[in-house]
Amino acid sequence: MTIDNIFFALLVGLVVLIIMMLFRVFKGPTVFDRLNGLGVIGTDAIIILVIIGFLSGREEMFLDIAISYSILGFIASVVIAKYLGGKGESKE
Amino acid sequence: MKILAVIFLALGFFLTAVAAIGILRFPDFYTRMHASGKADTLGVALTLVGLALYEGFSLTSFKILFISAFIMFANPIGTHILVRAAHQSGLKPLTKRRESK
Repeated sequence: MTIDNIFFALLVGLVVLIIMMLFRVFKGPTVFDRLNGLGVIGTDAIIILVIIGFLSGREEMFLDIAISYSILGFIASVVIAKYLGGKGESKE
Repeated sequence: MKILAVIFLALGFFLTAVAAIGILRFPDFYTRMHASGKADTLGVALTLVGLALYEGFSLTSFKILFISAFIMFANPIGTHILVRAAHQSGLKPLTKRRESK
């Protein structure tokens, strides 16, 4: 059992986790549940990007993509949360 | 070193799976954020540390450790700011007193 088989098994498991999170995103009772599911999908996609880089042998390009994806996901989460919280506060 | 990397990968994937099951199964929004804030953060960080151990000592492993450190502080901040937004917009947590009323 080489290391590539372990990477491939990890990739399949992460895709299964992302499908479970998609169930929460489509079903979620509140909009915050959907945002939470999208954040977890983003953090799982970072691992998937790094593993695809190791499998294809071009780690440098995929790592730069993973770094920018993590920073953009964090900024998007903060901005959307601030927007929703401000709207609810003014309504109350 | 490879054995240690595989151990870290298995531990990280276990914690990530626990976080996903918790987000699917917990009854309330705040408890679901509890699963997402702690288990998912540590799982992703351990998986990235395992990948860096597999790579060895180079610029690639330094970048992977940078992503791991960034997630270790960005993911709890995102979770906290989301819970704060939900609390400000008037979402009540699930308590036993409200259930019996």
